[in-house]
Amino acid sequence: MKKCTLLVVGLVAALALLVGATAALAKPFKIGMVDCYSGPPSTYTNDVRDALLLAVKKINAAGGINGRKVEVLTRDSKFKVDLGLAAAKELIMREEVDILVGTINSALALAISDLAAREKIPFFVTFSKSAKISGAKGHRYVFQISENTAMIGKAAAEGLAKLPYKKYWIAGDDYEYGHAVAQGIWDYLKKIKPDVKLLGQSWWKVGEPDFTPYITAILAAKPDAVIVATGGRDCVPFLKAAQATGFNKKVPFFMHTATELATIRPLGANAPEGVIGTSNYHFYYPNTKANKAFVAEFQKAYGRLPTVGALYGYITAQLIAGGYKKAGKVDTEAFINAVEGMVVPSPVGPVKLRAYDHQALLPMYLGVTKKVPMYKFFIGGDLVTIAPENAAPPVEAIKKARGK
Amino acid sequence: MLENIKNHRGLWVVAGLALLLAFWPSLVPRFYVYLVSLMLVTGLLATSLNLVLGFGGLYQFHHAVFYGVGAYGAALMIKWSGLSPWWGLLVGPLAAALLSLVIGIICVRLSQLYYGMLQISLGSLVWAIVFRWYSFTGGDDGIHGIAVPGAIASVSGAYWFTLAVTAACLLVMYLVINSPFGRVLMATRDNSERAEMIGVHLIGHQLIALVIAGFFGGVAGVLFVVVEGSVFPDMMFWTLSLEILVMCLLGGWFTFMGPMLGAAMMVGLRTVVGIYTEYWTLVLGVILMLLIFFLPQGVLGFIGAKRTPAMAHSRRED
Amino acid sequence: MDATSHITLASLAQQVLVGLSRTTILFIVSSGLSLILGVLRIPNLSHGSLYMIGAFVTYSAAVFIGGSTGFWLALIIAPAVVALLSLAVERGLLRFLYDREHLMLLLFTFALTLVFGDLVKLIWGSDYRSLTAPPLLQGSFDLAGLPFPRYNLFLLLLGPLVALGLWLLTNKTKIGKLAKAAAVDREMVAAMGINVSWVFAAVFCIGCFLAGLGGALVAPTQNITQGMDHTIIMEAFLIVIIGGLGNMWGALLGALIFGLTDAIGILVWPQFAIVFPYVAVVVVLVFRPKGLLQSTW
Repeated sequence: MKKCTLLVVGLVAALALLVGATAALAKPFKIGMVDCYSGPPSTYTNDVRDALLLAVKKINAAGGINGRKVEVLTRDSKFKVDLGLAAAKELIMREEVDILVGTINSALALAISDLAAREKIPFFVTFSKSAKISGAKGHRYVFQISENTAMIGKAAAEGLAKLPYKKYWIAGDDYEYGHAVAQGIWDYLKKIKPDVKLLGQSWWKVGEPDFTPYITAILAAKPDAVIVATGGRDCVPFLKAAQATGFNKKVPFFMHTATELATIRPLGANAPEGVIGTSNYHFYYPNTKANKAFVAEFQKAYGRLPTVGALYGYITAQLIAGGYKKAGKVDTEAFINAVEGMVVPSPVGPVKLRAYDHQALLPMYLGVTKKVPMYKFFIGGDLVTIAPENAAPPVEAIKKARGK
Repeated sequence: MLENIKNHRGLWVVAGLALLLAFWPSLVPRFYVYLVSLMLVTGLLATSLNLVLGFGGLYQFHHAVFYGVGAYGAALMIKWSGLSPWWGLLVGPLAAALLSLVIGIICVRLSQLYYGMLQISLGSLVWAIVFRWYSFTGGDDGIHGIAVPGAIASVSGAYWFTLAVTAACLLVMYLVINSPFGRVLMATRDNSERAEMIGVHLIGHQLIALVIAGFFGGVAGVLFVVVEGSVFPDMMFWTLSLEILVMCLLGGWFTFMGPMLGAAMMVGLRTVVGIYTEYWTLVLGVILMLLIFFLPQGVLGFIGAKRTPAMAHSRRED
Repeated sequence: MDATSHITLASLAQQVLVGLSRTTILFIVSSGLSLILGVLRIPNLSHGSLYMIGAFVTYSAAVFIGGSTGFWLALIIAPAVVALLSLAVERGLLRFLYDREHLMLLLFTFALTLVFGDLVKLIWGSDYRSLTAPPLLQGSFDLAGLPFPRYNLFLLLLGPLVALGLWLLTNKTKIGKLAKAAAVDREMVAAMGINVSWVFAAVFCIGCFLAGLGGALVAPTQNITQGMDHTIIMEAFLIVIIGGLGNMWGALLGALIFGLTDAIGILVWPQFAIVFPYVAVVVVLVFRPKGLLQSTW
């Protein structure tokens, strides 16, 4: 009997504690962040969070949002949809956050987006590349700050079309991101340059331990160029295998983020040279006052250089602060009306949040990996800017995707 | 605990809990209503696994596949068929039961680790199909915003539905275990050779148990759809299966309510600890180790059981 | 879009060699797992974590010492560190649990993976780590017109050496013979007045050493991150099962099946390479329910 009672009393006490802890305190403005902060994806997500925190610190110093102090709550999703979804619900229902921010996992981003629509809480997507978020599944309460697969595809196709290659091979991660990027590039490339030919494709599982067999299989087919649609943790080992086999010297290949700091830095001085890559952000480009100030500030606060995630985190904070300031009150509907079409300053110049699909229009930079004496790692050389209006799919395409 | 339910103190605990759960939504903010719904869903899943694990002695290493198939069955039916969503809720568990029968027929000849690993492989094939078949299942993005019947779509609506279905399923499983069939099943677990010798159709009993477990795993999957409105391939990945296994062992795998308690503890723990620290898996790992050392029969096993099955005592006979 | 039209004898041979070098890693890791399963009867889920720790320690040691000496020394240091860690775990915790049921041991090693995973995150943070092979093993050489990485050749040569070493260890040394005897009948060994507990500790250490060695050897070919334990542990378990529990040669055979079906699958049918290993396991177990070779269970 005693043990039973003990158990029940314990359970009830634990729950009471939990409930009690939520009792109303003085109400700050709350931003809830759900993202994967453990495992490989955190290389990208930590910068989003840290840049956002840095911006929030400044916002608070300037009096907060409409006089309310801004508080940021973070939850680790461990790249699991169920955990992330439960955490998002906890933030909405228990912490009563005003804004949700996250996440690198597309399935989770789509799940939270659906939740945000039902709960009427604005949700800023800061790393997922799924084009469905601001595209087919877009709605009033979701905002996409990171570039999406449609934009990657369009920008890369613009760049590749200028090169003389005709026979292509497509290879990539066997999941939605890989297929969507490949599809995006190929569709646009075919439109711009109808004589391109696809020799074949290979798809590997996410977390593939050894790329050598894929590379040798691709080389055996002798394509002019290869489109590598791989993301996240597989970029680094693929580039390593490319370096070991001399793949980049035999066949030119394109990989989104190949020139991005988070991808290229771990390889140090041993990265493959001449890989064609695209990215939204480089700490050394554009060489403007705004970018230099941003880099200096980030480096001072965290002792490391900002990667592309920092740009997303920064823009998110600017949009949140700017939107509420323009709305003049802490009210979700007024905020959304205010933030639609808003232009905020950023290290890569003014960035506009497109009113129709809530997609932030960022410029894309295309370049090739290059060794320079200044850094211990490779950088993106010969950078070409692809203007946002050329990278983003037109509003008509979004309307079509949404079935309107 | 099994025995306890029949005597008074067990009844008191159950009655107290039932009363608490019945008034739960009017007592607490809705997040806790949602949290308990999640505990019930996960608990039902763990209990269905324990039917074959604890009571059948089968190393069902990949039970989550039935959870996933149940959920996907419902989601796909709602998405593609155009029929009333209630049909989807019915189709899910049936699909899971059918799959359980198929996988069971292939695996059931094997024992222990071999059974478990073959089952993991087959389950992983199902996972790979769901993960890859973009046009039909949505691939790794999953399906979101599933149109659950309006009456059970709200947080409290989903709670009532989950509570009622879970209670009904638990009752059925309890009756199954205490039926002559259940006793034979336990006999096959404790000594399969002797059971066969006295004329028990071993494989037949195990298959029926597997189908029942698969069905209720599917019901849990459907309830997940009701509570969350989303499905995704993570739901049938082997890591989740391992987690449910842990819940059974944690709560007490030779007791009926143990897995339910284990699930409630795991779900509660990761929510509460997750609020305070990123390192909640470390905390969970340490707690698990302590439990293994000090409560080898699981929490409920420690509280309730006087009678432990032969399997728990005798060192694994080779 | 016919993917098979470009397969030549040269590319096939190339692919087989690449597959064989992958086999080396799989064999080293799964032979350790198989050893522990065979003698101690522990389904050690934390084997993957030890592999990951091996890779991280290799990285840190190689960077700390520097140069190509750093890498070669790290190849010895990392498995040794992992072995020491496993000894501490075995003596401090695991040995009190030997008389428990399989599933409880499985649960315990699962708890270990949770703890190890977060410890790695605490110590090394969450950035990608990348280690470069020493100049001797960098780049590739030409093999019938196709590049073959030198590092893969190194692995290819190392594989048989490790197999030979393990054979000598289990057949020619006292500890090996005791371990084999204990795997079959531990009461018998104990009756002979031998301290079985220390035999177990040694076997556990050796098994985990192999996990660490596997991690050290993959370090230059992959990015070293959390989560690398997940993929390997599943593969290792499947290999051990299809080979026959506790059978060293079974682990080799299983690793060969995995390495080769994967490499050739990529060449022949790249779209579905993802399912080949699982299909291989299902086929083997349906026809040989106890694995291909004699199991010690």
